[in-house]
Order: sequence, then structure tokens, then C-alpha cells
Amino acid sequence: MTFGTREVTVSFGDTVALDRVTFEARPGGIVAVIGGDGAGKTTLMRTLVGLVTPDSGTVSVPPTSEVGYLPALGGSWKDLTVAENVGFVGGSHGLRGEALDERVGPMLAMANLDSAVDRLAGQLSGGMRTKLGFILAMLHQPKLVVLDEPTTGVDPVSRVELWRMISDAAAGGAAVVLSTTYTNEAERAASTVMLHEGKVVLDGDPDAVTASLNGSITTGGRPVRPEYAWRSGASYREWWPSSVQPVGSVVEPTLEDVTVVSELAPTLGLEGTERVA
Amino acid sequence: MSAASVNAKALVKSFGHFTAVDSVSFDVYPREVVGLLGANGAGKTTTIRMLVGLLTPTRGAASLLGRAPDRVARSRLGYVPQGLGLYGQLTVAENLDFRAAAYGIEAAPLPDTLRAVEDRRVATISLGLQRQLAFLCAVQHGPDVLVLDEPTSGMGPLAAARLWDQIRVVAESGSGVLVSTHSMLEARQCDRLILMSEGIVVGDGSEADIVDGMHAVEVSTPRWREAFAALSAPGEIVTLDGRAVRILSRSVDDVRAVVAPIDGSAVISAVPATIDERMAVLATM
Amino acid sequence: MITKEFRELRRDRRTMAMLIVLPILLLVVFGYAASFDVTTIPTAVLGPSADQAAQVLPAPFDVTEVDTAGTVATARDLLRDSVVDVAITTDSQPPVAYVDGSSLFAAKAAVGALARAGGAVRVEVLYNPDLITSWVLVPAITGLILMFIGTVITAIGLVRERENGTLEQLAVMPLSPSSVILGKIVPYFVLASLDMGIVTVLGIALFGVPFNGNIFLFALGAALFLFVVLGIGVFLSTVSQNAGQAIQLAFFFLLPQILLSGMIFPLEAIPWSVRWISYLLPLTYYTLISVGVMLKGAGLASLWFAYLILAVMAAAVFSGATLRFRRDLVPSTRSGDEGAAEVGT
Repeated sequence: MTFGTREVTVSFGDTVALDRVTFEARPGGIVAVIGGDGAGKTTLMRTLVGLVTPDSGTVSVPPTSEVGYLPALGGSWKDLTVAENVGFVGGSHGLRGEALDERVGPMLAMANLDSAVDRLAGQLSGGMRTKLGFILAMLHQPKLVVLDEPTTGVDPVSRVELWRMISDAAAGGAAVVLSTTYTNEAERAASTVMLHEGKVVLDGDPDAVTASLNGSITTGGRPVRPEYAWRSGASYREWWPSSVQPVGSVVEPTLEDVTVVSELAPTLGLEGTERVA
Repeated sequence: MSAASVNAKALVKSFGHFTAVDSVSFDVYPREVVGLLGANGAGKTTTIRMLVGLLTPTRGAASLLGRAPDRVARSRLGYVPQGLGLYGQLTVAENLDFRAAAYGIEAAPLPDTLRAVEDRRVATISLGLQRQLAFLCAVQHGPDVLVLDEPTSGMGPLAAARLWDQIRVVAESGSGVLVSTHSMLEARQCDRLILMSEGIVVGDGSEADIVDGMHAVEVSTPRWREAFAALSAPGEIVTLDGRAVRILSRSVDDVRAVVAPIDGSAVISAVPATIDERMAVLATM
Repeated sequence: MITKEFRELRRDRRTMAMLIVLPILLLVVFGYAASFDVTTIPTAVLGPSADQAAQVLPAPFDVTEVDTAGTVATARDLLRDSVVDVAITTDSQPPVAYVDGSSLFAAKAAVGALARAGGAVRVEVLYNPDLITSWVLVPAITGLILMFIGTVITAIGLVRERENGTLEQLAVMPLSPSSVILGKIVPYFVLASLDMGIVTVLGIALFGVPFNGNIFLFALGAALFLFVVLGIGVFLSTVSQNAGQAIQLAFFFLLPQILLSGMIFPLEAIPWSVRWISYLLPLTYYTLISVGVMLKGAGLASLWFAYLILAVMAAAVFSGATLRFRRDLVPSTRSGDEGAAEVGT
């Protein structure tokens, strides 16, 4: 059973938040939805968990009782302790007592939260709170896990721990859909979906997406054609569509290069990627 | 050397028994973009709030442009807090006008992206546009010091790159820029980094200085998931860079022994540690 | 779900306080104070046969003043100055009972009791001859409006600035703290004044409420009261982190005033065990002033005390609150341990 959306359109008033979005999430795999602010990532996550009803198109998801959801910046009750949060959510799924402890114990240990069970969720650091939110979303072993920007604003240590927990969830057979602004993380997913202004502009295995770049990338101190270039660290990266001979040192394109180019290309009236048959 | 744009001199800030910032000293000079780096709770925001005069240090002194951060000094400061400090119920143009009027100047011209939404209430425009507006509001009076709290957090790569271009323009015009961040990507855009951990400065210099000769072992293999699982153990700092698995405090040979049964042809090499790894080490100390 | 809610509530001290204090407050007010039945009516008996009349006057009349030299003019003065609610002159036949119609419930009780006395006493209701409720309510409503805008709307307006982080932005801008404070308060002062003016004019136009007093005196009372409630609004904003908290706190300030100020339940019907609270509340004095000036044409001679109290309250509350607000804008005056909530950012 695969999950996902087909031709889903969502609009709020005059604003089209999602425009005929189609993607697939398979059990055991991670789908990374990438894109900047306002690309429609959160709307897509909310549509998957039924918080937003699409104007048209179909959403294929398991019943609510088999969906786990971690909203951006949240998913736990700040005035409750870690243990109380776990008890509350566990109880709502009919998990209590030993069964709950058995399920949660290893997860808390993996998240390094086992020593913080008596702390109020509101007093946890951002990273710890996100890990708690993830555990809560996973308590009932859902078939589909939807995570809205789980790693934004999370410190590097927690970020890696979260990723380990997310990988484990996928390895356990769940279909994981997460949104992120870090292309570096999207490279690890089985499939990546890039949204821009509500439309899917890239979709597929990260390697295939990276390989689909139309042209090549160079790097250097000063860009030759500034409108084709962007700053990355102390240097610039520059896009050369395949119709132009690149000037400068050509480098292996990354997923981030492709995402930047796919945003940049339409403003220049060009195609950023070549669709591979 | 010219006078510092920002100077923190042995700054201490205590809240009750808790010392959030302890003896923090550093400078930011004109034309320089300095990154103030650290995990959540490292004391970055408290330090910045003292530097711009929003908090009084318990001990030590903060100065902007060679004087206490009083009203005169702050008239030459541009500040974008994490929450952006915009009025959601006012339009884009009204926000810009209000800020301009406070500094007694004409509002700066809007770039095309913001001109298109000039008359919309700020609460209804995208976060990316809000960030652009907050930045414009902060720099329209030509400040000599610019302080930004996590300026590109949550932005797409192109929008972030474009904002960094603008930050560079401000620095090149002679301002000192201080950027607080916990993102390695943002840190790499800075000329110099100051790393804070648990309220103290633990590093000041380039990325190489911050990493301080630390090395990691990097494993590249198509079976990275298994390698990641095999290397992950309590007390180890294992990170992922894309699909490369990195591990600190183990030798190349050690790692090879673990990874060989998974993928005998995995590429394993010692590489300089990243800022994230340095922060991870500090966090687990 | 239920356990979770209880646990959360236990840690939310403000809501807990509201849950505990509110029922007790309501019980006390409605159990003891809330009564439309006036059982004692302060009464003056004037004229040649005052002594004898005072002897025979039954309950609910409570003779507090006997003046054998008193005349009709004295009676009118006593009513206008709210010394008594009923003044009986005995220099005519039959005697005339002048009743203060602005003390609506006392007046109704008095008129009822006097009617039972048959034609022995002629009744003349002053200030609100037909005992119309709206005549008394319109001046009182102006107080409610001032209080609502001054406290609730102002607190929300200020706390929004804190919630959005724009207060911080204002603090780093080259604005003087006083200009920020003025800029935040003047609009609400103007709005409240306008709103009150509209209600007063509408009240007069729609309900025929008379305006017998000096308009400037009325405005002065309103302005003093407005400073008090604005001060409370500013104060609430300095102790709240978000609009929800500010509204919750405002509720605590508003409810006792509405119930105990005499605008709904007559002060005379509130026993002294609770009534002393009424005399701590600014709305009590404003109601005295607005009803006194508007309906009775009372002047400073009788209302000076209410004006004085409001002036003192205004000076204390308003300056205290703005100084507190100023500390958020000028951190050098802030004490070391504040802002503990900002730790960990």
C-alpha cells in the first residue's frame, strides 16, 4: 500500500497553496519535501493528516489511527512533564502500564530523554522537545509518519539523533514524509519532492534529481554572470545551462545546486532540469 | 586598527543563580561579518541583547561604536531579532514608513518582490518576504553596526543566498555585522566565528580555528544506512553529511574494521571536523 | 484527556487563581451584596414638625438627619449632594417627600412605601421623575466603556507589542521612552473619549436622558477616571506575556467593579462587610460623578471628594504603571533577576 497525493490542489482565498501536487510515499522509505518559506510544505503535511481538505485531487492515507504527525514547533504539551506527555498520548492509543513502558523505554533512551522524564516539556531545549514530539507521534506504530520541519532550529547533536530515530521508523516499515529546508538531509531520503510556489518542481530519487540538472555548475571567487550565480560560503556557485560553455572550474553538482537552479531558472526563462525519460 | 563596531568586554549575565553568559569578550570590526555560533541555550541571544542595550550586564561592559549602547549609539544600529519585529497588522509600506520616521529619514525604495505586496498587511505575506522586509527596515537608515539573530533560518537556499549577498553589501559599505546562528551553513558565510557553549566563548577565529585540529573519519558507501547503524553507539559522536557517515574519536583503522563486513569497498578517510561536530563535542562534555 | 487537562491546569497558576477566586467572589457578591431590595433608605426630615414626623416614620426609612429649620431648598440640596435619598418637608400640608430618582432602587422602594401611606404624604421624584432605568444606566455605561477601552483594549494593544517582539524593536530604535509610552497611550485616550462622547449623545438622543450638569465637570471626571483605567491597562500589559493572559487579568479587575461600584446593585443594598471594597474601586467614584453631574447637576461642592479620590488614584496608578512599562524600554533601570524567562534562548 503506497500513500501520497494525486493532483491535489489547495487554495486559501485567492492564494493557491498547492497546485496539482502528486507524489508517492512507500512503506519503509523516507520522502523529503523541500522548498523555502511559502513553498507549500506545511500545507502538504497538513493535507496528508487531514487538517486541510483539498479543493480537488485525492489523498491516499491510512485511517487516522495509523497516522503519526509532528507539527512544526510542537507536538507536546508544555505544562506537562515528559512522562505525562507520553502517558497522555499513550493512553489515547490504549497503551498504558507495562506495554507503554516497553514501547517508550527504548525510544526515550535513544533520544537521550530517559534522564529528563520528570521535566516539563516547556523547559526542554528545542531539540529535546522535537525528539519528544517525534516519540509521541510514533507511539502507536503508525503506518504513515508525517513530520513538519522536524530539524529546523534543532541543534546539531539532536538533529543527528532525530535522523537516527527517523531512519529507524522507516526501517521498521513506516512510510515517512518529512519537510525540511536542508537539502543536505534530503539527500538521505529515498525520494525528494521539491515544492516551489505550491508546485512540484523536482521529484524523485535524490541522485536522479541531481543528475537531471540542465547544464553544469562552476565555483569561484567572482561570478562571471551574476544573475546566474549565488553565494555559498565564502565563494560563489554559478549555473551554466547546457546551451552555454561554462567558464571557470566545473564541479560535481549537488542536490542543493539543483534546487537553487530550479528556483532560479524560471526567473531567467529557462529550464533548470532535463526530464530523464 | 580602527575602533570596534561592537565590543563585549568580560560580559556576565546572571538570572538568579543561573549564569547565562560568563566573561564573554570579543570585538566586531567595520567591514567584518562575524558569526556568533552556539547551540540553543549557549547564551547567544542573551549576549546580543546586552550588546544592543536590551539587557544590562550583571558585570562587564557592552559597547557599540565605542560607547555604551545608549540611544545615540543605537541610532546607528540596525537590528533584526529572531521574531523580526514587524507589525503584522500594518502593511509592508506602513512598516517601512514607521521605521523610517523613527530615524527621521525617507523610507527606502522597495525592491520589486516587496513592491508587489506593498499594500498588503505583513501578517499575510510569506515569511520569506517578511524576512526581506525586516532586513530592509533594519538597514534603510544606513547603520554602522548590523546585528542579526538567525537571519536565514527556515529560508530556501536561493533566498538565503540572496539575503547573504545583501548582508555582504552592508559590510562592504563599512559596517560591522554580527550574526547569531546555530547553523553551519550560515556560519560558513561569515568572515570570522565566535563559538559559545554554556555561556562562555570556546573559540574565536576561522572555521579551522574553531575546529581546532579535530578530525573525523568519513565513510562513503552506498550502504550508508547500515554503516550509520553499526557505528552508532552510546557516547560516540556520529553525524551525517548528506549520505556520508562521519564519526569522531575513532581511528580510520577502527572504523574500517566496523564497516568492512558491510561494504569492503567503502571509502574511508580522515577529514577535518566540521563546526557541527565541534558543537556536538562541546554539548556532550 | 481529563487527567491531562487537570495536570496542565495545576501548572497554570493564573487560571487556577481564576478558578478558585472567581466562584468565591461571585458567591460573596451575590450572596451578600447583590440585592435590588433597599431595606434602609437614608432619609432627612425637615421643617417645623420634623421631630414628630421622624418619630412616626416606619421602616425602610432610616432618619439620618432632622432639621426643624429646613426648607424645600434644603431638601433639594440634600438630595443633589447624595446625603440622603429621601427628604420630607413638613412645612406644608400634606408633607412633601422629595425622592432622589437617580438612586433608582432606593427611590422605587421609597415610592412604594409612601404609596402605602395613602395620601398622607405627597411624593415628588426629582432628577428621574418617571424612574426610568435607562436614565441611570446611561451615565453608568459611560464608565463601563471607559473601563473597557482603557483597561482591556489598551492592555491588549501593549501586550501585542511584546508578543510580536516589536517592543524590543522599539527599545533599540532611537525613540525616547516617553514618546513610545505616549504614542501607545494617546490613541486609546482619544478613542475612549470619542466612544464615551458618542454614547452620552446617543443616550440623550435615544432615551431622553437629561444632561443637567456642567459638561466640563463631567469631562474632568471622565478624564481622571480614564487615567486610572489606562494605568491599570498599562500595568496589566507589563505583567502579561500575551493577550490571553492580559484579558484574563483584566477580567479580575473589571468584574468586581461592575458588580460592586453601585452601577448595577445599589450601594445602599450592599452590607458594610462588602461595601468597603466598593469604596476602593475607581468606578464607584466615577459612577457618583457621572450620575451626579448628568442627572442631578451636582457641582464640585458636593462631589469634590469623589474627584479628589479619582485624582489621587489616577496619579498613583498611572505613574506607577508607566514607570513599570518604561523599565521594559530602558533596561538600565531593570533589576538583575528579571527576564529569567528569557534564559535558554
